[in-house]
Amino acid sequence: MTCRKVHELMPLFAGDDLGPRRTRAVRSHVDACPACRRELEELREALARIKAAAKEEAVPDWSESAWKALMVRATGETPGSRKAGRSAGARVAWPGWAAASAAGVLIGFVILSVLFRGSVPGPVRTASPAAAHEQDVVSMTMVSPETGLQIVWFLDKNFDYKGEQE
Amino acid sequence: MVLAGRTEAFEPLVSPYRRPLLGLAWRLTRNAEDAREVAQEALLRAFRSLAGYDASRSFRNWLFQIAANEARDRYRKRAREAAAFDGLFERSPSATTGPAAPGPETERDRQEIRSDILRSLAVLSPREREVLVLRDLEDLDVAETARALGCSAIAVRVHLSKARRKLAEVLRRDHPHLEERR
Repeated sequence: MTCRKVHELMPLFAGDDLGPRRTRAVRSHVDACPACRRELEELREALARIKAAAKEEAVPDWSESAWKALMVRATGETPGSRKAGRSAGARVAWPGWAAASAAGVLIGFVILSVLFRGSVPGPVRTASPAAAHEQDVVSMTMVSPETGLQIVWFLDKNFDYKGEQE
Repeated sequence: MVLAGRTEAFEPLVSPYRRPLLGLAWRLTRNAEDAREVAQEALLRAFRSLAGYDASRSFRNWLFQIAANEARDRYRKRAREAAAFDGLFERSPSATTGPAAPGPETERDRQEIRSDILRSLAVLSPREREVLVLRDLEDLDVAETARALGCSAIAVRVHLSKARRKLAEVLRRDHPHLEERR
């Protein structure tokens, strides 16, 4: 391995970030080359200095009251309640087309439920006449725990899903 | 436990990382206020996305990834607004002066020298700084650093190589006579 090639690899070798094969090759060269050995020592010295400085540096801390307030603020939400952007492990957000489709379906249900209200022949009802006074439409609201998107389904009093009206 | 609704379990979960998280944010931003906000936002995001945390990963590294993303977002916003992020380093008198004069060192001198050394991180690009802080100061390995920054291991090695070389050059130029106790 030439000095030029070793020079390219030296910063990674200094931090033990080369693979085993290259590590052996660079070490073998450095052992025999004073100039490259000097460069390695300088790089290792620089790394050691920065690590020591960071280790001994006084890092500002929260006050206890600020920390407690932060915990209250953080835990005031439902865990996993919102999309966390590019945070690690966050679930994939609903793509725009999915949200638009869901909105379109919702609007369609609302329109159909209004248009066909009372006109769809239903099963024979054995409910008492008092049932006629019950509400004709039942709504069910679903909320996405990740995005907060709300979908409202409207169902008739028999809880018949308007599948036949699609 | 937290996901089961016992939110009081969140504080014990993150308390061990309170200072390390703030330390990371401090080293990435070099501004106390920004560091606190970055660390704060990282904890808020961590709570929100706890359901997506992969338990096979180190929780610390996962938290650090969130913080690194937040610091980068903040930096990009500042850069767009032409804020004085790098200007903060320029205001520091020792960041751009020549080599420190040799002489007897008091503890205060050593503290200032340590601060100067860390201010040397200003010569790095934001990505180089992130990579160096995570790999060399926080001891994440290359794979975890890549994962934290959302880039490849090859990219991490490229930036790491440049960062270490720049740092060595700056320290050789500005503090040639020092010998840190190891």
